[in-house]
Amino acid sequence: MTNDADIANTSPRRWLVAWIVALAVAALALAGVERGWRAHGQVPNVLDSPQLWSTERDKVYGDSPRPLVLLGASRTEYGFDMPTLRAELPGYRPVMLAINGLYPLAVLRDLANDPDFRGTVICDVESNAFLTEYRELQQPYVDYYHRHWTPSWRAHRALLDVWQQAAAISNPDLGAIAMLRRALAGAPPPPRNYVAYHTDRSGDIDYTLTDPEGAKRHFAAVAETNVANLPKRTPESWFAEVRPVLEQARAIEARGGRVIFYESPISGFNRQIMDRVYPPELYWNRFAAESPVAVVSARDYPELVAFPLPDDSHIDYRNKAAYTRTLIGVLKAKGLLQ
Amino acid sequence: MQFDSFTFLVFFAAVLAGYNALPGWGARKNFLLVASYAFYAAWNPPFLLLLIASTTLDWWIARRIDAAQAPAARKRWVVATLVVNLVVLGYFKYSAFALDSLAQALATIGVVYVPPRLDIVLPIGISFYTFHSLSYCFDVYRRKFAPTPDWRDYALYVGFFPQLVAGPIVRFTQMREQIETPRRTSADGLGLGLAFLTLGLFEKIVLADTVFAPVADAVFNDAAHANASGAWIGMIAFSGQIFCDFAGYSTCALGAALALGFRLPINFRNPYAAIGFSDFWRRWHISLSSWLRDYLYVSLGGNRGGEWKTYRNLMLTMLIGGLWHGAAWTFVAWGALHGGYLALERYAREHWWPGGRQAGRALAFAYGAITLVAVMYAWVWFRARGFGDGWAISRALVDVGGLSAGLAATTFEQRLAVAVFGLLVLVQALLRNTDPERAFRRLPAVVVGLLLAAMLCLIVLSPGNNHAFIYFQF
Repeated sequence: MTNDADIANTSPRRWLVAWIVALAVAALALAGVERGWRAHGQVPNVLDSPQLWSTERDKVYGDSPRPLVLLGASRTEYGFDMPTLRAELPGYRPVMLAINGLYPLAVLRDLANDPDFRGTVICDVESNAFLTEYRELQQPYVDYYHRHWTPSWRAHRALLDVWQQAAAISNPDLGAIAMLRRALAGAPPPPRNYVAYHTDRSGDIDYTLTDPEGAKRHFAAVAETNVANLPKRTPESWFAEVRPVLEQARAIEARGGRVIFYESPISGFNRQIMDRVYPPELYWNRFAAESPVAVVSARDYPELVAFPLPDDSHIDYRNKAAYTRTLIGVLKAKGLLQ
Repeated sequence: MQFDSFTFLVFFAAVLAGYNALPGWGARKNFLLVASYAFYAAWNPPFLLLLIASTTLDWWIARRIDAAQAPAARKRWVVATLVVNLVVLGYFKYSAFALDSLAQALATIGVVYVPPRLDIVLPIGISFYTFHSLSYCFDVYRRKFAPTPDWRDYALYVGFFPQLVAGPIVRFTQMREQIETPRRTSADGLGLGLAFLTLGLFEKIVLADTVFAPVADAVFNDAAHANASGAWIGMIAFSGQIFCDFAGYSTCALGAALALGFRLPINFRNPYAAIGFSDFWRRWHISLSSWLRDYLYVSLGGNRGGEWKTYRNLMLTMLIGGLWHGAAWTFVAWGALHGGYLALERYAREHWWPGGRQAGRALAFAYGAITLVAVMYAWVWFRARGFGDGWAISRALVDVGGLSAGLAATTFEQRLAVAVFGLLVLVQALLRNTDPERAFRRLPAVVVGLLLAAMLCLIVLSPGNNHAFIYFQF
């Protein structure tokens, strides 16, 4: 290393030139890449992550407005319309904690173990979700929140939201390594993501940007594989796995909170597989009858199952607001929401 | 707060502006100390109290050491600071490890002991600031300098935010004059400092996190199923990751300090171009290796007690150095390997090549290659999640028969990681006797500008998830 004197003796003009060149070239190059991606139809999109989840997890406290915590997987994350919830339920603060692809019971347990949580939970589950094999799927998010979520990362994530909403190049699929890989393989540019995320973590699925029939086949295949890979539960053994979850729900209600287990609509092969493995009269209906907390299934409400599910599992974003309004109506009619 | 975060960009811009806006040196030092504590508290505010308490206690004890006239009294004070610092470090870092090890040891004699599940959060940077404080007290004890009467100056030495959480482990002698002499941002310091920050972020975000980490993680997270090519690629990728991660942090630290008018010692000098293991440790994490040499190896007797005691001291120093990195036996294994390498090298030098005969180019190249491979192999144990994983990777590495078949099935990301690592080693070999500062200064300004532009573009175009700096956990 050179010494202090070298720093003082080097011409400041040299660094001025270097940094003007650096910033000008970098700005031009990045603007060119951004423009190129936008010409290919790419748009800025918020990226869901444990950090973004943690920003929502921060919001589950307080009584006024009352937190309305949405737990579940993709059907909740992409099915609940947050502006509609805010407009229709002014006494509540909707908090999206559902995580795409992962059943939610680890987060329910976390809320049950949190003595400061007294909000309302809508926990979107199906019979499969109660199995112990699926119990820990969302635990890494919970661990991240409790071990790594710091004031510094809160500020970082807030600024990252701004950047991701402004720049298509903030998407890793459009990053340098991905570009190089595709260029060497002669692969076409990636298609635009058919899910658009918001900073409140809700997502909009636009089925005009993807192949719903392909998605349908995919979900059916995944469901079949999951069912085949797990030991079959008798109603008794299944209910033994449900019981601790009900205890957790009861713990939340004992503190003045509320838990609503909700089975969202599915159709086609998805419905057939689930009904074949877990006939409702032996599983879900018994759960609904014995649960000390509220249980609502969309299948009991024709107005909810009437919404089209292009891939048998999820709702197109154009129907989200109407679906959410309908569900709120159902829950209000049952006295579960004010 | 991490350097590779938007939070740091905003924080650093605010610190630069506030620091240079203040007129007096005392006010600027107060501002830097408050900023450093804010930097630390942004991670976990309650642990700021621990940092302040540790700082204050060591500052006070150093003054007691200096004031004491009787050797026994001086020794008592230095032992007191050693015990206090090691107890605090031990509680936070090694409690669970010690209890688990005890349970395993008891199990071998048939005693069942289930240790309590300790959910202790490790204060970030505790290993680093503990070593800062200890070196200060040891040096006062050895009468290398008189302790500073100014708590603020000492607190700034320990807490100066660029080096607070992951080094370099700076000695007080390297910082005292800089803290006591007024300084502010110079145009050259700012230009070079920002260039260092850019280089460090490029190493961390582009190379460590984007090129190397995914490949290394894929292998080490499923070590039991690693084949020969996977093991080699994983080892290479982690060797690249650990260097770019840690050297990236150190380069950022140097850059942030330079921009504020401070100069921290260089911590990495092209270590993968080392010829020999003692040369490697003169180039890798220089501030730690010199700390271990000065305060541990020398205190153990160094090479003053004869040949075998020298080997013992080398081995003990490296074992403890390994354990400093993390509370797991795999880190001890990593230290043992390096201790063994150093002892073997010393033995060879004294018995096979006495008199320090100059090696020819071919021999130097061969020894450099051996050094590199041996260092890379030691990283396997550093990264492995347990002994089982370490053995699994080790076995796969020597499965020569399976190597060619596996190589044919490598992915783009794996080939890229290997190629970039090769490039990294080549660059280090070409710049073996220089450093980034000299390289920046030698090149024409426009070329430096283009290099910085390329790095900035790649940083922006590598938007993966943030990974914590590996050395934060130490």
